[in-house]
Amino acid sequence: MKMSHNSSGKDDQASGSKKPISLPISRVRLIMKSSPDVSSINQDALFLTTKATELFVQHLALSSFNNGSGKETNTLSYSDLANTAQETDTFHFLTDILPKKILAQDYLNSLEQMQEEQGADY
Amino acid sequence: MASSSGNDDDLTIPRAAINKMIKETLPNVRVANDARELVVNCCTEFIHLISSEANDICNKSEKKTISPEHVINALESLGFASYITEVKDVLQECKTVALKRRKASSRLENLGIPEEELLRQQQELFAKARQQQAELAQQEWLQMQQAAQQAQMAAASATAAQQAGSSQDEDEEDDI
Repeated sequence: MKMSHNSSGKDDQASGSKKPISLPISRVRLIMKSSPDVSSINQDALFLTTKATELFVQHLALSSFNNGSGKETNTLSYSDLANTAQETDTFHFLTDILPKKILAQDYLNSLEQMQEEQGADY
Repeated sequence: MASSSGNDDDLTIPRAAINKMIKETLPNVRVANDARELVVNCCTEFIHLISSEANDICNKSEKKTISPEHVINALESLGFASYITEVKDVLQECKTVALKRRKASSRLENLGIPEEELLRQQQELFAKARQQQAELAQQEWLQMQQAAQQAQMAAASATAAQQAGSSQDEDEEDDI
């Protein structure tokens, strides 16, 4: 009996819908080309990148869920993802797109400071 | 999901594809909307990361096109070496599928039937289909006519029965 594993798609039969790649390859290509300086990409390289992106999504989701606080409530939250990005070396590149968390106190402090500078002009 | 806007930075993987993947990876887990949005953006970021690194490697190799080898090296140097085996497998599979498809279409070409004959067969099939369509349409038309006739007759006898009833005296049983 065949054991079909989820996303690796070893199933070539017409009846199954286990494609090797589920993300839209053309979109991945567009995104790659919008990177500065990237000129041409070999088709096979494109397949590899697309599949790597899929694995990345799975990896990120799983890590974030496992490390996160949502395991009891069975939820995955924004902060789970943000924390994992902060704490995991390979996901560190994501911190660029995560807005920095500001502590409420810090915000109030900087607000006060601004008001002082402007002569409490609000 | 604006894909027609000119700004390259708006390019992302379609939300639906991401949602599906999250669902398959974390079945039965509730995922907040802003978390999903974040994953979509992380994907774009990841693709840029790999592209840039692969591009750098490509430039150093003095080749002009980013090759699979460049991507694999990029994955390795960025800490995603664990992905390499699986992506290589998938690449192999994609190639096999593409090869099968090419073989299949060339097999068709090599059936030995000259083009004119194929064309003739095609015309024949079309003509047959048209005929079947025409017959079907005619049948439907006949059925409609019959139905209309029956409706008319039913209406007629109903009125007749009504008239007969209102005249009270005679009991005309000539009608149906």
